[in-house]
Amino acid sequence: MAERPEDLNLPNAVITRIIKEALPDGVNVSKEARRAISQAASVFVLYATSCANNFAMKAKRKTLNAGDVMSAMEEMEFERFLQPLREALEAYKKGQKGKKEASEQKRKDKEKNSTDENDKSRDEEDEHMDDEQEGENEGEEEDVEN
Amino acid sequence: MAATASAAPAESELDRSGAEDEPRSAEPEEDGGNGQAGPIAAAQQHRLAKLPLSRIKALMKADPDVSLASQESVFIIAKATELFVEMIAKDALVYAQQGKRKTLQRKDLDNAIEAIDEFAFLEGTLD
Repeated sequence: MAERPEDLNLPNAVITRIIKEALPDGVNVSKEARRAISQAASVFVLYATSCANNFAMKAKRKTLNAGDVMSAMEEMEFERFLQPLREALEAYKKGQKGKKEASEQKRKDKEKNSTDENDKSRDEEDEHMDDEQEGENEGEEEDVEN
Repeated sequence: MAATASAAPAESELDRSGAEDEPRSAEPEEDGGNGQAGPIAAAQQHRLAKLPLSRIKALMKADPDVSLASQESVFIIAKATELFVEMIAKDALVYAQQGKRKTLQRKDLDNAIEAIDEFAFLEGTLD
């Protein structure tokens, strides 16, 4: 399943929502303008990635990290993004930590009460599966064979 | 793409890399192959970013020079892209308003791209 950059678009519904929320009520957006913004967003991702990757390579790291992206934003003259991105990153990290602790706790509980709680934990897992469906399944693997 | 099962080995790579820019204590290592943290953590991610991280990641992977990217970096790029969309929409709106229109059109985008330095990278890239 080879995906070329040209084929990868961001979901229209989400792009439309972001645009609508940024603009005042009563303003419409033509289909062509929406499509162009969506394309521009994809180009932005590619450009930001390339830029961030340069910082990682300069530091002799194989893994792109959040700091590289911040440096890229500065390089691309989007300093105005830095503060909101830092705040978002903090919230994200807190969320990650909380979730990991919660899942560690769940795992310990499951191990303790494996027979009794089989049904219960299956229900909990179903809940998480629902969350997963509305969001992301693939947050984790990053290996790229290029 | 890969199911959760294959997420486990890659996950420790990710967490290690995520820990590169913060103290390790903030991110407990996933060496135990804790595949469970994967989907749960992933489910939380999307509430902070509107754009799907999987799609962002797929775009990032399209770059042959990129080998690995931390979860955080994918998230930050998603967030930055959201800010970018907001910014370009607002900047294009100025041109629509100059033309006394309430509908943003393609030409408003083109004008914004031409006029604003930060959007110079877009020149020649849109259909």
